[in-house]
Amino acid sequence: MSAIDPQIAEQLAQDLPPADFRRIIETFEDDLSRLSQQLEAAAIAGNWDGYQRAAHSLAGAAAAVGAVPLEQAARVAMDPRSPHPPTVVVPVIRDRAQAALQELSALVARFDRR
Amino acid sequence: MSGSAGRVLLVEDTPTQAEVARSHLRDLGHEIRTVETAAEALAQARAWDPDAILLDLELPDFSGLDVLKTLRAEGSETAVIVITANAPMNTAVEVMRAGATDFLPKPYPKAKLVFTLQNAMEKRALVIEKRALESELHAARALTARQGFMGFIGASPAMQAVYRTIESVASSRANIFITGESGTGKELAAEAVHKASPRAARPFVALNCGAIPRDLLESEIFGHVKGAFTGATESRTGAARQADGGTLFLDEIGEMPLEMQVKLLRFVQTGSFQPVGGSRPERVDVRFVCATNHDPLAEVEAGRFREDLYYRLYVVPIELPPLRSRGADVLLVARAFLAQFSREENKRFRRFSPEAEAAILGYPWPGNVRQLQNVVRNVVVLHEGERVEATMLPPPLLCAGPGGGEAPPITVATSLVPVPPPVIEIMPLAEMERRLILAALEHTGQDVPRAASLLEINPSTIYRKLQAWRGPKRVTG
Repeated sequence: MSAIDPQIAEQLAQDLPPADFRRIIETFEDDLSRLSQQLEAAAIAGNWDGYQRAAHSLAGAAAAVGAVPLEQAARVAMDPRSPHPPTVVVPVIRDRAQAALQELSALVARFDRR
Repeated sequence: MSGSAGRVLLVEDTPTQAEVARSHLRDLGHEIRTVETAAEALAQARAWDPDAILLDLELPDFSGLDVLKTLRAEGSETAVIVITANAPMNTAVEVMRAGATDFLPKPYPKAKLVFTLQNAMEKRALVIEKRALESELHAARALTARQGFMGFIGASPAMQAVYRTIESVASSRANIFITGESGTGKELAAEAVHKASPRAARPFVALNCGAIPRDLLESEIFGHVKGAFTGATESRTGAARQADGGTLFLDEIGEMPLEMQVKLLRFVQTGSFQPVGGSRPERVDVRFVCATNHDPLAEVEAGRFREDLYYRLYVVPIELPPLRSRGADVLLVARAFLAQFSREENKRFRRFSPEAEAAILGYPWPGNVRQLQNVVRNVVVLHEGERVEATMLPPPLLCAGPGGGEAPPITVATSLVPVPPPVIEIMPLAEMERRLILAALEHTGQDVPRAASLLEINPSTIYRKLQAWRGPKRVTG
């Protein structure tokens, strides 16, 4: 399964100059790093509000760049009725974030060459 | 405002989302400020007075919806575009009811954001222009309220507001959505918008979506090529092409089938369409004016009208007041009809008696101007004299009393035949047909599709007949 929705991410890359697209992906990378730490810290501390807030921001950031699988996992974390505990969801989010970043970086490189 | 730079406040707590929006807007020349919380959004909106706010709904301190409601309660007219992800449709309806200018789901392509923002800013500019015009005209209006405008008759404050709105929006390209009860003059308002616009010299094409069979509607709007379907022996130009450069008026838009709404949405968004059976899209420049006598938001909520099409068409609303809310306008309109029909029927009627005027004023007119038109025409046709007496009016008008209230129904017999004959009156077939159609319209409260159904004819037949009876000139209130 692809880690990004090519329609959304490529549309973004086509709509913008390469420098702007690169800056968005760098911002996304910063968001991922900060929000993943917040998410894991909140999960360890049992801080449910903080966990939900971080998951909500992660979902928003992922949606912006078409990282749909990551967005879906973050929405599971946001959902108070979800049967999946943080110990299950957090590693999934981490893996999907990593995969999304790799594919987006490849996309940046492809559009930089054009 | 379209195409010009303005102040845009971006309220977004996720840096990636904010960066996407800023990047999309970078080359438009707007001054953009970004805040991350609802409290900061309120502070900036008050201090900086932006032209538009791009507002995320889910903010860390409190909801974007509360920001919107607070600003509207304070009288802010800033264009507010609510942007959110995964929102259910009732959220869209709720934010539009709370005063949002538009609603944009995430993620969105650049073109959509730019289009929505420019539309919203143009709408705000119109509001400001309208406000300036209102204050400019305030003094003049107090002295001489207009008695009529572009075929409308009426000097009431409600109609003055309609005239001003039409004048304000006419020169814009913004789509117009007209609402109002049956018989309030929605097509006349559409024509007025067209005539007051820079498109006046180009065609005004009106299409009644409720009067055209479902399977012919696409061909009526977009045309067809020869051989497109059985019976398409010649290529035919549709309303969209006919209205190129001018105005396309889609009446009873709520009656349009959902599958046709999808095609109309594409046309509204892109300006291009494909004739039935055609292979290449055609591009035209039309301004859309739509009308319905239903509550369009309720239709969206009920799933009968596409939400995205609603947002594209409902840019500038014009609400036509019912006749019962227009005070003494009813007499102005009745007198104008009396003069017109007396002339057309070669009668001597010049005025109404005070008792007749009191009865007309006291009746609530559920069928609005169209019902008043029918009553006056029937009085003129069936009576003689210089003055219309109260006894010449249908009995329900005399029962209503001053101040209106519940409208006693005007039955076919009372409205059309003062003394019901014991046997069928023999008359020319065409006259009988006219009376029967008018009676069916009275019976259904001027609902043409229902009247057509009762008569087992096509609604378009009724429209054609009414048009023919109305003649080339008409007066409408």
